[in-house]
Amino acid sequence: MGLVSLLIIIPFITMLGVLFTPKAEAHLIKWISVIGSGILLVFTGYITYKFWMEAGADFELMKTSTETKLYLIERIPWFAAFGIEYFVGLDGISLSMVILTAIIIFTGCIASWNVVDRPKEFFALLLLLVTGVFGVFVSFDLFLFFVFYELAVLPMYLLIGVWGTGPKEYSAMKLTLMLMVGSALLLVGFLAIYHASPVHTFDLIKLANVKYDLSLQKWAFPTIFIGFGILGALYPFHTWSPDGHASAPTAVSMLHAGVLMKLGGYGVLRVGLYLLPEGAKMWGLFFMALTTINILYGAFGAITQKDLKYFTAYSSVSHCGFVLFGLATLNFMGVKGAVLQMVSHGLMTGLFFALIGMVYGRTHTRIISEMGGLAKVMPWLAISFYIAGLASLGLPGLSGFVAESHVFMGGFFGNVWQDLFWMKTLTVLATCSVVVTAVYVLRGLAKVFQGPILDDHFLELTDATFTEKLTTGILIASIAFVGMFPSPLIKLIELSIYPIVNRLKMN
Amino acid sequence: MKFLYPELVILITALIALFVDLCFTSEKMKKTSGVVVLLGLIFSGFLLIVTEKNGVAFGGRFVMDPVAWWFKFIFIAASILTVLLSIDLLDQGKLAARGEYFCILLFTLSGMMFLTSSRDLISLYVSLELATVPLFLLATWNKNRIGSEAGLKYVVLGVLSSSLLLYGLSLLFGMTGKMELLAISQGLSNTPIFWVAFAAILSGVGFKLTLFPFQMWAPDVYEGSPTPITAYLSVASKGAGLSLLFLIFYHLFGFRNTQFLGSAETAHTFNLILAIFATLTMTVGNVVAIVQKNIKRFMAYSSISQAGYILLGLLGATPEGIPAMIFYLLVYVMTNLTVFAAIISFSNQTGLNQIDDYRGLSIRNPILSLALMIGLFSLAGIPPLSGFVGKFFLFSIASKMHFHWLVAVAAVNSTISLYYYLQIIRQMYIEKPKGDEAVIKVSKIITCTLIVTSILMVALGIIPCFYDAIHLDTTTYLNF
Repeated sequence: MGLVSLLIIIPFITMLGVLFTPKAEAHLIKWISVIGSGILLVFTGYITYKFWMEAGADFELMKTSTETKLYLIERIPWFAAFGIEYFVGLDGISLSMVILTAIIIFTGCIASWNVVDRPKEFFALLLLLVTGVFGVFVSFDLFLFFVFYELAVLPMYLLIGVWGTGPKEYSAMKLTLMLMVGSALLLVGFLAIYHASPVHTFDLIKLANVKYDLSLQKWAFPTIFIGFGILGALYPFHTWSPDGHASAPTAVSMLHAGVLMKLGGYGVLRVGLYLLPEGAKMWGLFFMALTTINILYGAFGAITQKDLKYFTAYSSVSHCGFVLFGLATLNFMGVKGAVLQMVSHGLMTGLFFALIGMVYGRTHTRIISEMGGLAKVMPWLAISFYIAGLASLGLPGLSGFVAESHVFMGGFFGNVWQDLFWMKTLTVLATCSVVVTAVYVLRGLAKVFQGPILDDHFLELTDATFTEKLTTGILIASIAFVGMFPSPLIKLIELSIYPIVNRLKMN
Repeated sequence: MKFLYPELVILITALIALFVDLCFTSEKMKKTSGVVVLLGLIFSGFLLIVTEKNGVAFGGRFVMDPVAWWFKFIFIAASILTVLLSIDLLDQGKLAARGEYFCILLFTLSGMMFLTSSRDLISLYVSLELATVPLFLLATWNKNRIGSEAGLKYVVLGVLSSSLLLYGLSLLFGMTGKMELLAISQGLSNTPIFWVAFAAILSGVGFKLTLFPFQMWAPDVYEGSPTPITAYLSVASKGAGLSLLFLIFYHLFGFRNTQFLGSAETAHTFNLILAIFATLTMTVGNVVAIVQKNIKRFMAYSSISQAGYILLGLLGATPEGIPAMIFYLLVYVMTNLTVFAAIISFSNQTGLNQIDDYRGLSIRNPILSLALMIGLFSLAGIPPLSGFVGKFFLFSIASKMHFHWLVAVAAVNSTISLYYYLQIIRQMYIEKPKGDEAVIKVSKIITCTLIVTSILMVALGIIPCFYDAIHLDTTTYLNF
């Protein structure tokens, strides 16, 4: 087994470890999960090092290349009759996603320290989900990709349904069914691409070398974009997201908003833009318009929310809109910004949901108007919340600024296939959302943390414990690192963006 | 002659089982008949495995080919598992007349096995009746009101469908004056009579396969039959219907080797008809399943929808479609029997069959509910379980024939089916047990069955050798 497979195997083995631990040993189960995800984090660091050793030299070469180059490849034939392989590897985009996932799952496991109800099943499902997520990011065979994709989506049903709060059964069912309709669309698209290519394989790299009929691209691209877009909270298919996030337990919200929604953007980039460039050119402007609605709708929606989780969920819809918006600009800057936004939003939302979980655990309410002055009793949490908020409104020095500025520049540069006027107009509209974001973030946080203390029993509350400080500390450090020193990440992403964008420029 | 050994062993075993019950008086000795039947089935399976996959007997009226071989293999496997599921109930006296039960079960099995090898109208029809008539008896094994009603419904509609089929076959005989399927296929022409025969035959087969609008009998019969027989009906009987459909499409209508039926235009008509049947069947099955309260009726509708998916394999009569179809049948047998094993062990202890009764099963017996959950997920087509892989291959055939809309319909149907399978999972995992919290005990035999079927259910989806074997066998044979 090679290095990349270990990314799938480590969480899987940890899951088995959890499953075979007796139910009564709740503490041991938590330790196993935390240690397993800790090993994963360290291992991700090692794999990044190995990756850069191999890939670093190719950087100049990739600037003009049109073929994606993968590193640390492993391939084993699987269902040979259909040309299906176990084909995993890494490129810059998938590696940055892998790093993000490793950070979020590690902090997520620590943040779930106080799960009391059936911890064994909880951690097992959480780790199964992560196995799926890592699988998606490293697989380069469409069949394998799809298998992991569904594996990542499905545990969500039980995680929300059993451990959630509020109307959890409704939310869990809505989320699962909407995402499954999305994957139904993907299945149609994948199979059509497979049968349209003469190569008789699901190998993504080989499929990309085929020029598909315009008639196929014309319908397959929107099918795939919407199929992934449902997971990426594309307007008007985002409705599962606020309900789902509001009902989910803390770690699940973190993983879902932080990582799982990124699968949507990742899929659009990896399958949509990469395999169907002509389709992308036909539909780019349409989806730019749709995602502009996404961005504004999410931002305005967040203003009116009364519940902290709904508030963050709508803000997530808005920020995930940036990802899809960046991809729809079809130029180097925009696509790069989209990938940066995936990482940045993942860290930021992870922090947001972790903090909401911590605050809710103390106040037992998530209604914004019922809280006030909490900064006096829990300064650490308050400061962390502000940092997350500032990152989300794009303050320079934090990760949000780097990502969003790239996306906006991308939108403004435009591309040669589409009307520049409309692209610029849409970009200007989307940029307005930054102001709206500032309004809702600052207003919401001021209400919760400043002013007089509304309820006497808030005075007895305590500040963050050690594990909570660890969780938030790791996430804040990552956000600040990306914000102040983005060049390693940008270089990693650029390495693999070049071929995809160069392919768009061909013919 | 040696190609008949598996069938002969089955028939002899049937008689032995009958006589064991007849000759011994002590209950202890009577119990051995279960073991005898199992040994007979395993021996028959062994003989099948060592037999060559190509051969002819009785002057071409009985043919062994890879497709027939795989069907027989699946039938024997399904029967072994059904017998395992029945033994407990028979021993506890919940099912009467052990000897007759086994004997009749084995007779229908032999009918199905003869059916897949028949190559002329007479043997085809006789073996079909041999497979169906004993099932009427088994369906009424519970002598209560629901059981009798189910049996009556089954007999009346079953005979009606058989006569329709017979009528269609006789028309074909009238058109061509031949009995052998191959000879008939060469004499067919595009006349109104042919289409009348086609319609009659398709309705007859549609009944066996529970295609919409011939699915009416299934829920009542499934509900009224003893649960192991429900399981058997849902897998083996459906498999027999499928093998009949294959015989008719590939041998009787002889796609690809006759000018009339091989033409692009007729092929398109056929595909369209199949696609419409598939769409209606899966949609009706899935939508009606949502409102079911009784788990056996629920499984009836679920298996109706599965019949819709399986039809996709016949689209375009490609050589690739058949392995996908057989593979899905194998997967479906394992998955459905896993689910039924769980249902049987639950109802055996509690006597309850409503979906509500499964509340909190994850607390009452975590392993049983895990097996049931994996089974239901596999039926819904969730990767990496074999149900997904099987469906993926079937959908791929539809996509290859440019039926993209059908792929979308089928995939959305899978989502609908996930909705109602999740309802059961919700009962087991999210709801708390009501009142009775006693641990559900699972007997040893059913535990073994569950382990075997669950492992196969997962392995079929991950280890490629099963599909590869089917693919290799059947495509080389069908590439005529």
